[in-house]
Amino acid sequence: MKESAREEILARLRQAPKMEIPARPVMPTPREVLLDRDGLTARFTEELTRESGVVYRAADREEILDYLTEIARAESLTRIMMSTDDMIRSLDLPAWGERQGVSVSTAADYPDRESYTRAVFDETDAGVTGADFAVAETGTLVIAHGGNQPRLVSLAPVLHVAVVGIDRLVPTYEDALSVFYGDAGLIPPAHLTLVTGPSMTADIRATAFKGMHGPRRVIVILAG
Amino acid sequence: MKIDTGNFVRNAKLEMQNQYARTFLSLLPPYIAARRVKVMGSFPDPAAAQELSRAIRAEAVARMPDLLEEFEKNAVAAGARVLWARNAAEANEMVLSIARERNVTMVTKGKSMISEETGLNDALAREGIEPFETDLGEFIAQQLGRPPFHIVGPAINVPVEEVCDLFMKKAGMQEETTDPVELGYAARLFLRDKFRRARLGITGVNMAVADTGAIINVENEGNIRFNKSSPRTQVSVMSPEKVVPTTTDALHLLRVLCRNCTGQSISAYVSIDRGPREPAEIDGPEELFIIIVDNGRSRLYHDPKLREALRCIRCGACLNLCPVYAKIGGYPYGWAYSGPMGQVLNPALLGLEETSDLFNACTLCGTCREVCPAGIDHPAIFLHYRALEVKRKRRSSGRWETILFGVWGTAAAHSAVWRFLYRLARPVLAVFGNNGKIEAMPGPFAGWFGARDLPVPARRTFRDQWRESLSKQGGAS
Ligand code: SF4
Repeated sequence: MKESAREEILARLRQAPKMEIPARPVMPTPREVLLDRDGLTARFTEELTRESGVVYRAADREEILDYLTEIARAESLTRIMMSTDDMIRSLDLPAWGERQGVSVSTAADYPDRESYTRAVFDETDAGVTGADFAVAETGTLVIAHGGNQPRLVSLAPVLHVAVVGIDRLVPTYEDALSVFYGDAGLIPPAHLTLVTGPSMTADIRATAFKGMHGPRRVIVILAG
Repeated sequence: MKIDTGNFVRNAKLEMQNQYARTFLSLLPPYIAARRVKVMGSFPDPAAAQELSRAIRAEAVARMPDLLEEFEKNAVAAGARVLWARNAAEANEMVLSIARERNVTMVTKGKSMISEETGLNDALAREGIEPFETDLGEFIAQQLGRPPFHIVGPAINVPVEEVCDLFMKKAGMQEETTDPVELGYAARLFLRDKFRRARLGITGVNMAVADTGAIINVENEGNIRFNKSSPRTQVSVMSPEKVVPTTTDALHLLRVLCRNCTGQSISAYVSIDRGPREPAEIDGPEELFIIIVDNGRSRLYHDPKLREALRCIRCGACLNLCPVYAKIGGYPYGWAYSGPMGQVLNPALLGLEETSDLFNACTLCGTCREVCPAGIDHPAIFLHYRALEVKRKRRSSGRWETILFGVWGTAAAHSAVWRFLYRLARPVLAVFGNNGKIEAMPGPFAGWFGARDLPVPARRTFRDQWRESLSKQGGAS
């Protein structure tokens, strides 16, 4: 039988002479590791603000909802789609929406994928989601997607509001990702994203602007 | 993708007359290069960070066959289908049959250099499947039918007026504008509709993690995330050298890649996929195909020097600093890869015959080697290519060169011969002098003077003068 492409490629690679694997240098500890909670918050805020993100600090559920009310008013939001992770569920946004005159939906409200897709692309002013971690190093959100965290909710609407518990604020990417991909970790998600500020480009005449394909604005509420 | 590496000199001359491109080249690359230095400074020890990324790339390439098998095993366990293609034709055929089986007539694509290499867009279009590049720069380059000008900004040299015309014609733009932001939003609107409708999304791969079977993509625009979220089928195309040992290694490379690429400490988005979507998910691909395209790499892997080319992480730092790229831009390199990266990769992947201008168009200044986070010694590879080329050519051509270098070699090794020949040559050279310079000579020497002048030899040589002054001194004492 003719050798498969796989066997052929691997065999040819294996026949090649072996080469030495160089030693790795020791890296100094990342600076962020030494920061306390205030330091981490400051760093996260500074980094995300540089990318035109906005960071709010909310003490409790009431304050989170106050911020959302403020945002809804400032951005004239009428239609929100939310994720259904624990953090967002705990806010009871549908009740809040009723008070504010904002319609709040979840992916589960749509009978099928098509109608969900249409809604999230064309009929949603903002996506409100939780995030699994906030990384101080670069002002980055880590979102593990799944049934309660649809991919398009934080991507397709022009505004993304994320609510993250302050206890989820960690120094580096490794601190967050080892939870998912480490030995003792959870089952790795099918799709995980690191999100640092809004979508952007500088592809035409090197002119940078936000909101190329994804959100034009990103707001993070650090809670607790 | 059309290969035009053989016309390097002609295209370089053309591009050097392009005033717009030249202005651009004098501004942007130095700016990105400066930003890079600044943001590398955010590492506690930038030199150690660079050394570590070089070590990771060297290890990844050295262990490539084992890592590929490990990656495949873990990706398959997570539900991905891993396919292997020997060459461009096989890879394109795989994508085509996946598309045909699903009755797909339109696909959206994230930027993928390997698919530039295989000419996937043309292959799809020929079969009546319409491909849409969705990275803004790549979209413009695709619609103009041009190769990438710069790996990070494929159409960054295209004047806004030209983009405006193009979008009026091909991207449904309603009103003329030369504002880059308005142009960007026009493309957003046009491509958004494609994302919503696409059944098949194609992406490249920045890194494939062996110990988890995950693939990682790095981007700013969000187009790759759309390609991984909206369509029901995802095809991710990668070359074998994308594989890295662990997530920790990938994260370090990620930090180094973003800093070297755009001078960011991280790109807006990084997405990591392990298998297709979970059953509970409402969006994301129901099937994930990963196509590993060899396209000559397992062959060049046998040459230890060429193997080094596989370390490249396509960051583009070497382009931004190269004095040759700074004069001619990306087009003359004639294929998917440009700048020093292209001078290394294009000959390695296409062979030396049609690419010799690429490795000869280098002053061996070594700036690329210094900056390269993957630890590639570009000048050494160019010298290797040049040596291989000379060996290859000796049998067929270069008669004059062989004779002249033979004579020169003998003369240089024997001082008497050298003096004798030089004495003969001086009056001859003087004949061609003009204002103290020789600007042209006939015959086999013509080429040498194409870009250089030679000073006319002095009437008396230094040695003659020296001997004379010695004998004078001797006479006086
Ligand atoms: S050769 Fe080195 S510097 Fe150039 S693109 Fe590749 S990794 Fe970057």
